[in-house]
Amino acid sequence: MWKIGRVAQREFLDTVKTKTFLLSLLSIPVLVVAIILLSRKMITSEAGPRPPVRVGVTSSSEEMFARIAAAFAAHNESHPQSPLALRPLPADGNEPSPQETGKEKLRQGGLDVYVVLEGDLEGKDGTLYFYTYQTKASQLDALGTVERVLRDAVIDRRYQARGIDRAVFQEIQSVPIRRIELGQEQGHEKEQSRGQQAVRMMVPFAFMYLIFIGIVGMGQHMISSIIEEKNSRIVEMLLSVVSPFQLMAGKILGLAGVGLAVMVLWGVAAYGAATRQGIEIDISTDLLVFGLLYYILGFVLFSALLAGVGSICNTIKETQSLMMPIMMVFIIPMIAWPALARDPNGDLARVLSYVPPATPMIMVLRLASSPDIWWGEIALSFLVLAGGVLVAIWAAGKIFRTGILMYGKRPGPREVLRWLREK
Amino acid sequence: MHAIELEHVCKSFGPVQAVDGLTVHVPPGCVYGFLGPNGAGKTTTLRMIMDIIRPDRGEIRLFGEPASSSVRSRVGYMPEERGLYRKMTVSAVLRYFGLLKGMTAEQLGRQVPAWLKRIDLAEHSRKKVEELSRGMHQKLQFAATVINDPELVILDEPFSGLDPVNQDLLREIIDGMREEGRTVLFSTHVMHEAERLCDFIVLINKGAVVVDGTLDEIRAGHESRTVSVELEGDGAFLRRLPLVAAVKPDGRRLDVTLQEGADPQDLLKALVERARVRAFEIKQPSLHEIFVRLVGGAHVEDR
Repeated sequence: MWKIGRVAQREFLDTVKTKTFLLSLLSIPVLVVAIILLSRKMITSEAGPRPPVRVGVTSSSEEMFARIAAAFAAHNESHPQSPLALRPLPADGNEPSPQETGKEKLRQGGLDVYVVLEGDLEGKDGTLYFYTYQTKASQLDALGTVERVLRDAVIDRRYQARGIDRAVFQEIQSVPIRRIELGQEQGHEKEQSRGQQAVRMMVPFAFMYLIFIGIVGMGQHMISSIIEEKNSRIVEMLLSVVSPFQLMAGKILGLAGVGLAVMVLWGVAAYGAATRQGIEIDISTDLLVFGLLYYILGFVLFSALLAGVGSICNTIKETQSLMMPIMMVFIIPMIAWPALARDPNGDLARVLSYVPPATPMIMVLRLASSPDIWWGEIALSFLVLAGGVLVAIWAAGKIFRTGILMYGKRPGPREVLRWLREK
Repeated sequence: MHAIELEHVCKSFGPVQAVDGLTVHVPPGCVYGFLGPNGAGKTTTLRMIMDIIRPDRGEIRLFGEPASSSVRSRVGYMPEERGLYRKMTVSAVLRYFGLLKGMTAEQLGRQVPAWLKRIDLAEHSRKKVEELSRGMHQKLQFAATVINDPELVILDEPFSGLDPVNQDLLREIIDGMREEGRTVLFSTHVMHEAERLCDFIVLINKGAVVVDGTLDEIRAGHESRTVSVELEGDGAFLRRLPLVAAVKPDGRRLDVTLQEGADPQDLLKALVERARVRAFEIKQPSLHEIFVRLVGGAHVEDR
């Protein structure tokens, strides 16, 4: 037993000490923080006024056009950084038709967008046509602004035409809503912002993602560590001192420790960052304890599979084709998570909970989204997972024992099955 | 009690019978040579002794206990495939293997520097393994094998890849181990190494024992038919003697190969009658000759 500990200790220290590991450990939080800071900076301080967006407008209604001109002026006053330039193209005149003139101007680069107001826009029929030509990605948000300003102008004109005071209408529409979450004790009340609700939605995902990174990310280290021992031929030396099972178990435990350390670091960092930003996250101790158990079992299962795969391959490249089907099972929860988070007790969530490699991620997601899952389901998921772990260790142990000493050609599935049947 | 006992051990890999009913007893406190041509089953046998692979049939005991038991911690094994963690430092590698073999921190503190000094790697102790030369690497691997002073040391082709100076160093260490009463088993296909070092030898081919015993016993069973003589005057008459099969000049001497069953004593008589004899020596068969005769013969019979 203590030999497993020694192997695990070396595996842990050697992985933690590599530069690539430290880089990957730090790079993700640094990247996240950098993106947040940068995007905030971009919004608050722009480099200077952008060149005006030239908008050609053809409208058959004089009143409507006046409204639009007023709306553009109002916009330019409140947003001096992103001005809009109005270029009227009168609707009368016959040869060539004003619409064709506008489109041609657009093609030649005289306009950025050409808008035609067609039909009875003051009534309920009529359509706004937005023509663009070779739109640049940098203009997309400006075009959105143009749409919004024009639509607003049309709505304003409609109020005017019907003799309704827009201010009155806004008064009628305004109903303030405050969301308050009650605490355990009396008088314990917390106001919830919209952001807070988004956070509630994100916490289950964040937990699942941590489990995913902890399991799959560490799997890469498992594969490369096995391939290294195999290629450097050190494995025979090790096997004269420890049994193949001890070697495999030590590796799994050592890397599980690394994964746990990464998860704790990132988890604490994320929690700390969120708290500093004034977002409160409640995490129950139940969730933490269950999450830990699911992670450990899931990690052992996954890395036992990888140990089996790694032992029969000679290069990292060879492992990739064998890894694909295993990875698929882990990707499913990553893709399906919005559906799972919305309906944590639905059929899909229930079924996936009992597919062992996916169990830890799905169950953590479900527990984080809805705390009232029947304890029997939790117990059953643990049983299924533990069963999966035992089968994986048994199979991987047999494959590892034979495969780790084989060099040259990778054995086929039939040969691997023969190893499994051996005593 | 024997240090190693193999009883009718068999192992096949698919259609290949690597070891075929091998029975070997290694007495304690000796240097035992495990000889055979390439593909004879030497490495497979050593791996089975170390319980790295398991025999299909037969029994293996180390110091009277099954090979799969904890008795392995009293054995040091250096495989033929050389390899160590490339990114670890020299002393860290020794410490790691020492720890795996159950040594305490205090023992490690004593043994690691002692071994590094003994194999001339003391000034490289902080280097990474990948910075070492091939020979240094191999010495380090040897030190990792014996770091816990095992009672039984098993070495697979220990001399391959070493320069003459380091070969001498290794030979010295093995001699020292014999004096301390340890058992050393090593495989080789270089016969003169075995001749110089071994108390006992087993020669295997195709997974079975061809011959075993002490060097003298093996030689006794394979009397040489070669006599080295030095005569005054012309020795041309030798070729015409009925008991001589072939004559080959060897410097001032002549190597005379006798017919099968001929007595060297008769040759001496015949020589004394015809010429003055300066030297007459019945040549000891070298292990190399015995090896070629036995294994080569087996190959011929096969065809």
